[in-house]
Amino acid sequence: MLDLVTNPPPGSELAKAKESGVDLTLFISTLRRTPTERARSLSEGSRIFQIAKQTLLNER
Amino acid sequence: MKLEETIRILYDAGVEFVVIGGAAMGLQGSAHLTRDIDFCYARTAKNMDRLAKALEPFHPVLRGAPPDLPFRFDAKTIGNGLNFTLTTDLGDLDFLGEVSGLGPFQDVLAASDMKSVGGVECRVLSLEGLIKSKIAVGRPRDLYVLPELRGLNEVKKKTGLD
Repeated sequence: MLDLVTNPPPGSELAKAKESGVDLTLFISTLRRTPTERARSLSEGSRIFQIAKQTLLNER
Repeated sequence: MKLEETIRILYDAGVEFVVIGGAAMGLQGSAHLTRDIDFCYARTAKNMDRLAKALEPFHPVLRGAPPDLPFRFDAKTIGNGLNFTLTTDLGDLDFLGEVSGLGPFQDVLAASDMKSVGGVECRVLSLEGLIKSKIAVGRPRDLYVLPELRGLNEVKKKTGLD
C-alpha cells in the first residue's frame, strides 16, 4: 500500500487525486483503523473544530 | 458531534437509516472532517414514529430557526416534510428522505455497506454511492472531495482493505 500511495500508477484515480493535492499517505492511517475508530476520530475532530471556532469567536 | 452514540441511539430505537454525507466519508476511510451527521431515513409511518421518539430526549430544534418558532419533531412533522436540519443535544443532525443522484431510502440502502460502529451493525453509504451523490449535487464543496473519494475507492479495491 505504501508503494501504491507514494508512487501511484500514471493515469490512475490515485495519481489524479495526488495531482489535485490529496495527501494519499493519509489513507495508510485511516484504512488501518476500524470503523469504530474512524467514528471516534470524526467526533474528536469535530470537537476540536468547535473549540477552535469558539476561541476565535471569543477573541473578536 | 457524537457519531458513535447517535448511531447506537437510532439502532436501539429500531430506526431504519443509512449514514450518508461527510460522516459516511469518514467511516469509509476519508480524512475529511465534518461538523454534522447526515442520515437518510425510511419514510414509513413506523420508522418516522421511531425516529421522532428516539430523538425526543435530545431536544431537536430546527437549525438556524428563531428560538421562539414553534417546532415539534414528531411523526406528523416528519411525514409532512422530507429533509430536516436539526440541532440536538447530540450535535447537528440532518435527516434526509432522499439523496440527490440516488433517490429515496430504498435506493440509498441498496448503495450502502454494512459497517460495525461501536458494536452496532449499521448501513453506511458506499464510496460509489457517495461519488454518485456528490456529482449529482454538484456544489464546489461536493466536487472538491471527488478526487479523494475516487482515489480511496481505487486503493480499497487494489488492497482489499475496507
